[in-house]
Amino acid sequence: MQYRPTAAELLADIADLLDDEVLDAVGGPLQHRVRVAGNLARILEREVRLAPVADAAEAERLRALLGRDGTLVELRAALAARLGDPTPFDADTERAVHAALVATTRADLAIAKPGHDDWSRG
Amino acid sequence: MSALADGLARWLGERWGMTVTVAGLDQSSAGARRTNLGFDATADGVTRRLAATILPTADIQLIDLGAEAEVRTLAQANGVITPFIHGACLDPSVIGGPFFVSDFVTGESVPRRVLRLVEQAGNGERIAAQIADALARLHAVDPALAPAGLPRPADGVGPIATALGGVRDSIGLLLQPEPALLYGLRWLEANRPDEPARRTIVHSDVRTGNVIVGADGLRAILDWETAKVGDPMEDLAWPCLRMWRFRNDDLLVGGISRIEPYRDAYRAAGGAWDQDRFEWWRALGTLRWGLGLANQAAQHLDGRFRTIVMAASGRRVSELTWDLLCLITPPGGRID
Repeated sequence: MQYRPTAAELLADIADLLDDEVLDAVGGPLQHRVRVAGNLARILEREVRLAPVADAAEAERLRALLGRDGTLVELRAALAARLGDPTPFDADTERAVHAALVATTRADLAIAKPGHDDWSRG
Repeated sequence: MSALADGLARWLGERWGMTVTVAGLDQSSAGARRTNLGFDATADGVTRRLAATILPTADIQLIDLGAEAEVRTLAQANGVITPFIHGACLDPSVIGGPFFVSDFVTGESVPRRVLRLVEQAGNGERIAAQIADALARLHAVDPALAPAGLPRPADGVGPIATALGGVRDSIGLLLQPEPALLYGLRWLEANRPDEPARRTIVHSDVRTGNVIVGADGLRAILDWETAKVGDPMEDLAWPCLRMWRFRNDDLLVGGISRIEPYRDAYRAAGGAWDQDRFEWWRALGTLRWGLGLANQAAQHLDGRFRTIVMAASGRRVSELTWDLLCLITPPGGRID
């Protein structure tokens, strides 16, 4: 096990360095890339903290939805295969599939773009 | 004069049949695909501010630059507000790439500034109505007059089927299965509308960011490189996607206006509004944009276009997934 700082702490440090020091020190087109890199470091910091719980919750949702067991990768592939089959769902299943996808996307956004789900009217 | 100014002056001089001098070059924007350059052209003691749209090479254009100039000229002749085109030059040797020259239009086009201006001037509904009016005029043009270089659906295939086929192909190229995007494709298939009764010339990228506005309202519709023959409702739906509202989500049309003035103006100018096809194209456009972001990440990963900006696009897919799921909530379903 690595000594502190943790991966999340270091990623926050890298993001701070990029945003607070590097951004002002570079000019021109590189500035945009540095800003993007700083934002990515913040996404990774959240991913390191939140993804283990989010992935476990997604797998649990998919087990319930599909009525089978498997790893998250297997379960996602199984859902994708069912969605690729044009046979319609009954109304309850349709709503359950949509709700599961909404929950997963919400967890993805908590990492990639917090606040984007404040608006839900399309 | 620089080589660039010199090339522009010589080319304009030949077209106008008089001596032209060029000064005051100012690069107003440079994208990956094209550069926009403002400059002053003086001939016979009269100075005009013009704009040159220049491609770095001839091989990365979406449509032929000549076809783009042609469709803009055709649109303008039919009352669409777009800068007058003085001519196009497809010979890359004149200034280093194909280009066309148009009148320079002042005003705001950068989204955040547009939103600020509209808020101060209180003219968002007017601009939305002017955009809808311009689209109605464009859609009224006889599609038989469309420049031969414009893309169009294959014989016997409609714009709806063409768009669905494109989305299906892109989903097949995803690097990992994305259930929410597949769910979106299912919805598009299940809710597929009839092909439009009439195909028209469509711009297909009118939105906040691609229009110039001022306190007096709409001044120009820009960036016609995506013009094609298709379903007019695709043009009406596109400005109403969330990504063009720049957080001003209450105002459906590009963050500047409610839908009503926009829809009413389209009808008033003779356009046939179809709400089902409007909703369908909004979902399709959102899904297609999400697939475009995934494709950018793929281009970074496989080395075709390595940059951190393209890499970051992969982490934006969930924004479009969210917007899509909001648009296609099933009956009785809700988003808490």
